[in-house]
Amino acid sequence: MQATEKLSASFRDPSGFLFTRNGILYRQINRAYEKDYARLMDSGLYDKLVKAGLLIPHVETDQAPADAQRDAALKVIQPERVPFISYPYEWSFSQLKDAALATLSIHKRAIKMGMSLKDASAYNIQFVRGKATLIDTLSFEVYKEGEPWVAYRQFCQHFLAPLALMAYCDVRLSQLMRVYIDGVPLDLASKLLPAKTKFNFGLLTHIHVHASAQKRYSDKAIEPRKGAMRVNQQAMIGLIESLEAAIKKLTWKPAGTEWGDYYENTNYTDGAFEHKKQLVREWSLEKKPALVWDLGGNTGVFSREAASSDAFTVSFDIDPAAVEQNYRTVKSKKEQNILPLVLDLTNPSPSLGWDHTERDSFGARGPVDMALALAVIHHLAISNNVPLSQLASFFAARSKWLVIEFVPKSDSQVQKLLTSREDIFPNYTREGFEKAFSTCFTIHKSEVVRDSERILYLMETR
Amino acid sequence: MHFTPPPYLDPGSGSFIIQILIAALLGLGVALRASWSKIKGYFGVKPKAEEEDNDSADASD
Repeated sequence: MQATEKLSASFRDPSGFLFTRNGILYRQINRAYEKDYARLMDSGLYDKLVKAGLLIPHVETDQAPADAQRDAALKVIQPERVPFISYPYEWSFSQLKDAALATLSIHKRAIKMGMSLKDASAYNIQFVRGKATLIDTLSFEVYKEGEPWVAYRQFCQHFLAPLALMAYCDVRLSQLMRVYIDGVPLDLASKLLPAKTKFNFGLLTHIHVHASAQKRYSDKAIEPRKGAMRVNQQAMIGLIESLEAAIKKLTWKPAGTEWGDYYENTNYTDGAFEHKKQLVREWSLEKKPALVWDLGGNTGVFSREAASSDAFTVSFDIDPAAVEQNYRTVKSKKEQNILPLVLDLTNPSPSLGWDHTERDSFGARGPVDMALALAVIHHLAISNNVPLSQLASFFAARSKWLVIEFVPKSDSQVQKLLTSREDIFPNYTREGFEKAFSTCFTIHKSEVVRDSERILYLMETR
Repeated sequence: MHFTPPPYLDPGSGSFIIQILIAALLGLGVALRASWSKIKGYFGVKPKAEEEDNDSADASD
């Protein structure tokens, strides 16, 4: 008996769904989608998009369909597996922008080849080999000239509205995506955006006027097939290009946030910095992890040391400016195995959506082979008051190997944290740290970082 | 009896209507651009490289 498990994120789509069998990810395509799938594959659109890195490649298999839906099944395909699934509320500004442009580019190419993108969900885009890529092979339908774009509203809510809010109001408004799972409501975006955005043609039409039209027609049914209710192909291209122009115009420059210039402000020497890099590189090469999480990765300097062992490294940081900078480096150096993401370790992404199963929590997307926790423990233990024993069990649940840096109280960065508060942390010492972590970990190595009082450990979960 | 669904059930109507209006306007622009490049072509100005090839660069740059 094979262990088959239907994945809950794809339950809405009658065209098919994802399931895993013996650890391998498959997508069942239902008979209802037969015509559209044939057009995708036969028109050359699939090849074109895969070649451009815009669509996830797949192979057709002779696997039996998932049991529950056997009668409806047409085919079972095996898509390439994405190393780490991330969500729009974890992306930096440019990541969401690139995902938006990739979506429009796919829709435009599809229209020119007789198909249309029926779904413009930001959750259908993932970062694969450093590039925004559509992972839902069943998002296409045969294009009927004259039909409006059914995903227009969704595109505006999932991409244009949050990007405009990030660019014009505050980059932290990306977090609205965490509250509104189907994208930022346009009336809310219209209310929050400054008045000057009404002088921007793209934002005026696709957000402000769009929001008023939604309100005006909210209780009226329409018949889109009537003569005047048509969007011919030329008009469709015009619409896509207008959205493209609106998205491209939106910019955000990382500045003034918490740690954007962190590495220029460190309290340790070049020698210490290099020594730390060398230890991370050596230990990654030795343990050969497939997947690494760098927790508190800043702009990704140490993530890159771990990634040099060929590990796929997810570089999390709380600061959107650092993550933006990290992503720009990924793009300019065409790095394929680093994924920068925004994450607050003290309040990580929860499970979201229907029955809490549509989007996985941060924890549910682990555990991984190796985690890095460099210069982060004092923030968690002292700024956030988490007892060392709880930190140990938190890390032990996340990964097999842990590379962790202990920053003692005498360190000036810790002193800074303690200036504004009473020192209620008698156990925050090297001995206390080792004792607390030994309950969950075997400490294999510990090295004092050159020219500093900091200690780097390599530990294995018990 | 006439039944009007509550607003939260169908937020799509307004989106469809506004899309049709905007697209009609923008479609004109695309048509004008196409004729303009034909006119330019008549006078020997070469058209720009097929935009399609730049799309992937857009998405990744």
